[in-house]
Amino acid sequence: MTTERPDTPSSGIGWSCSDAMTPRDVENLRRFNLASLAWAMMFVAATLAIDGFGVKGLTGWALASATLLLGMTTMGLYMRFLRAADELLRKIHVEALALGFGAAIVFMLFWRLCERLGAPKLDVVDPVLVMIAFWVAGQWIGLRRYRVEASE
Amino acid sequence: MKNRLRVLRAGREWSQAELAGRVGVSRQTINAIETGKYDPSLPLAFSLARVFAATIEEIFDPESPVDEESRIANA
Repeated sequence: MTTERPDTPSSGIGWSCSDAMTPRDVENLRRFNLASLAWAMMFVAATLAIDGFGVKGLTGWALASATLLLGMTTMGLYMRFLRAADELLRKIHVEALALGFGAAIVFMLFWRLCERLGAPKLDVVDPVLVMIAFWVAGQWIGLRRYRVEASE
Repeated sequence: MKNRLRVLRAGREWSQAELAGRVGVSRQTINAIETGKYDPSLPLAFSLARVFAATIEEIFDPESPVDEESRIANA
């Protein structure tokens, strides 16, 4: 039958998007990425409006609510992506989420002690940045661990 | 867990991508199973058995774990 694609690594790092994801995963991830982008842009716009231009009252609450709605939509799309994902990809993402969540908790508690020792006070968003950084790193580690390589 | 996936696939002259398409997973998943890095879920094991018209036991051997050295080498 067909052997148009040799069973060897398909990129320099032994991983490519098409190797790790089914077409359904690619589509679900594209939707999630678009929603994430819209959410991030809404967050920046709302912050600028409220902090920069002093928008208050009903308009301010409307901007905050729109950001919340987009965030919840993004979360729902990620859940959909995870549920429908190729099982190895799901394992990689779940492990990455565990790493991100764990790193944020460990960092938060560690910094609490550091603050008592004189370190600068953390902003509430800082642990979230740690979480995202470790989540992304966890995905990279997982994709490396299960990278496509020549079979024995 | 040791398996005969690569042998069965080669017997049908299917690429990893083609087998992946037949059972609805990524090529990376098929490769990880063949190299012993990943054990499939029960539904996927049944799907693989179905496409090869074999039983799960004919494909997977739980008594023969992939030896630790090759697992580490693959990691």
